[in-house]
Amino acid sequence: MPTIVVVLLLLVFAGSLRAQDAREIVRRANDLMRGSSTYSEFSMTIQKPEWSRTVVLKAWSREPDYSLVYVTEPARDRGSVTLKRKNEVWNWLPSVQRVIKIPPSMMLQSWMGSDFTNDDLVRQSSIVDDYTQTIAGEDTMAGRTCWKIELTPKPEAGVVWGKLHMWISQTGYLELRTDFYDEDGTLIKKFTGSDIRTFDGRSIASHWEMVPVQEPGKMTVLDYQQLKFNVNLDQSFFSEQNMKRVR
Amino acid sequence: MRTSKHAAASSRGLNFFFIQLAWRNLWRNKRRTLIAGASVFFAVFLAVAMSSVQTGQHEYMIRSAVGFYTGHIQIHGLHYWEKRSLDQTIPLDPAMLDSLHFLPHVVHVVPRLETAALISHGNATRVSPVIGIAPAPEDAMTGLGKRIIRGSPLLQWHSGALLAEGLARLLGVDVGDSVVVYGQGYQGVTAAAMIPVSGIVQFPVPDLNNAMFYLPLGHAQELLSAPGRVTGVALMLDNDDDVDRLLPAVRRIAGSGVEVMTWRQMLPELLQAIQADNGGTIIMLLILYVVIGFGICGTVMMMTAERTREFGITIALGMKRWRLMAITMFEALMVSMMGACGGILAAIPVILYFSYHPIWLGGDYAKAMLAYGVEPIVPFSNDPMVFLIQGIIVFFMGAVSGLYPLFVLRRLEPVRAMRGER
Repeated sequence: MPTIVVVLLLLVFAGSLRAQDAREIVRRANDLMRGSSTYSEFSMTIQKPEWSRTVVLKAWSREPDYSLVYVTEPARDRGSVTLKRKNEVWNWLPSVQRVIKIPPSMMLQSWMGSDFTNDDLVRQSSIVDDYTQTIAGEDTMAGRTCWKIELTPKPEAGVVWGKLHMWISQTGYLELRTDFYDEDGTLIKKFTGSDIRTFDGRSIASHWEMVPVQEPGKMTVLDYQQLKFNVNLDQSFFSEQNMKRVR
Repeated sequence: MRTSKHAAASSRGLNFFFIQLAWRNLWRNKRRTLIAGASVFFAVFLAVAMSSVQTGQHEYMIRSAVGFYTGHIQIHGLHYWEKRSLDQTIPLDPAMLDSLHFLPHVVHVVPRLETAALISHGNATRVSPVIGIAPAPEDAMTGLGKRIIRGSPLLQWHSGALLAEGLARLLGVDVGDSVVVYGQGYQGVTAAAMIPVSGIVQFPVPDLNNAMFYLPLGHAQELLSAPGRVTGVALMLDNDDDVDRLLPAVRRIAGSGVEVMTWRQMLPELLQAIQADNGGTIIMLLILYVVIGFGICGTVMMMTAERTREFGITIALGMKRWRLMAITMFEALMVSMMGACGGILAAIPVILYFSYHPIWLGGDYAKAMLAYGVEPIVPFSNDPMVFLIQGIIVFFMGAVSGLYPLFVLRRLEPVRAMRGER
């Protein structure tokens, strides 16, 4: 009897230790990519079988709840701003001088024609808290040894995915790839990082490709030109008023 | 030669004689004939009415879906119907529209550019279908112009929007106010514009009344950065039967790189709903036929019982059984025929009236129908096939019931029959 208890305890302990490990890895990778507050400049190229389009953006964010994205190019859309505050998204449309709140029914629609949804903008920071992380193995990605980590959403978390697979490098905690699976276990999106560069003292993948696996010929590419971490940003920066002022 | 000619002549005479006798028999006892005829009459009347409502319902469903939205045939970009994205738009060629117009049976050619976008006013924002329309053909096909309750219709090159009444109420706008339309245009370009409300349209179906947003086609193309492009061209024909015959010609005119679909391909759910409903109708009609059939049988049995003595006497007097059988057969056919014709004649004015003045339902049932997206009316079909098919079916039931006296006659023993026994 006592032996069984000991074995059970060991099993539970070992299990929680491993889970703790995986969670720690994901938390570190997440902190590296996002920091407490960031400023970034990047371009987003939307590739479709019939056309492609590049948008140049500036973004400020204060994790986990606030971010603000400003469009600098194309000229037609310059000055458009997307503001995310907690679970809500607003858009500022300079051409009609109006702020519009994105209704819940539009949250799963694509953001600026990309393979990202409005919901992706809102939910991105929850990989640490809304999922249970386990190490699924080791793998090599872009010449680096990575932990392959499986993330299963917690029952109470409002997550659309069935599970995620993340590849995080063992040196430097670089997030190099994430696979998104739906509830039936079908691979839906692949988010792959490459071209590691140093921004503000941190090594980070600067080229990202989001590939919706089920839709051939489509892809969204992100290229970071600038990234600054721990920028001094007040909560009041992420306001409706500032959407109209920010440059 | 001669004998056969003679035989033919005499048999023709004999036939006529039977018919004459049968006819006289019928009017010998008018009340009996009227009762038998009436049972067929009401049977036909009821069957026609029921079948007409059923067919009418289906015709109405098809007409409203086809007439309000898809058209009988639609030309659109490859995979548009599946993906419904502006990426599948096609360039609109005026020469193509003209050629389509010149096809026989084509009544309306209606180009549209549609997508979904946010419509916003003040703090209220709704997701709505935004449909760029050519006002004149759209009015002609869908009767949109007649639904305007306030304001003015759209003009081809004017800025202005028609809002469904429910949508306007939800946004708190009226004619003269402006709304912000915000969405994605062709190839991911941001589409945003401030558009004045020029008119309010009302639909009985809440799904439409809370959603629809119309713009003039040119204006919509500009808003969505899709100059000269449309998501589809709907063709309305003068009848549903010519759809398949016209398809090759439409395909030829539309050219390659586009998809030409019939409403049957675009609305498979509607087709299935109708087929499922038809199954139910057949069961209901069968029940009705059983009730009717027993009614007719009962009448025929009563009549036969009444005439047992008469049959016995005529056979005793030397009437051949088969002749008597033939006469009663003719009687049954005549009564069924008269009843069926009478039923059809009586049903025609009633059904014609209701086919032009459908019954409007009220109360909770009407609300339930509206929730299903159907106007709460009971439409009647005036398709001649409805009358013909129901008339023929009931006539045959009458004729088959008329076989009963033949069995009685075959077994009849004149002596017992004359005493009124079987």
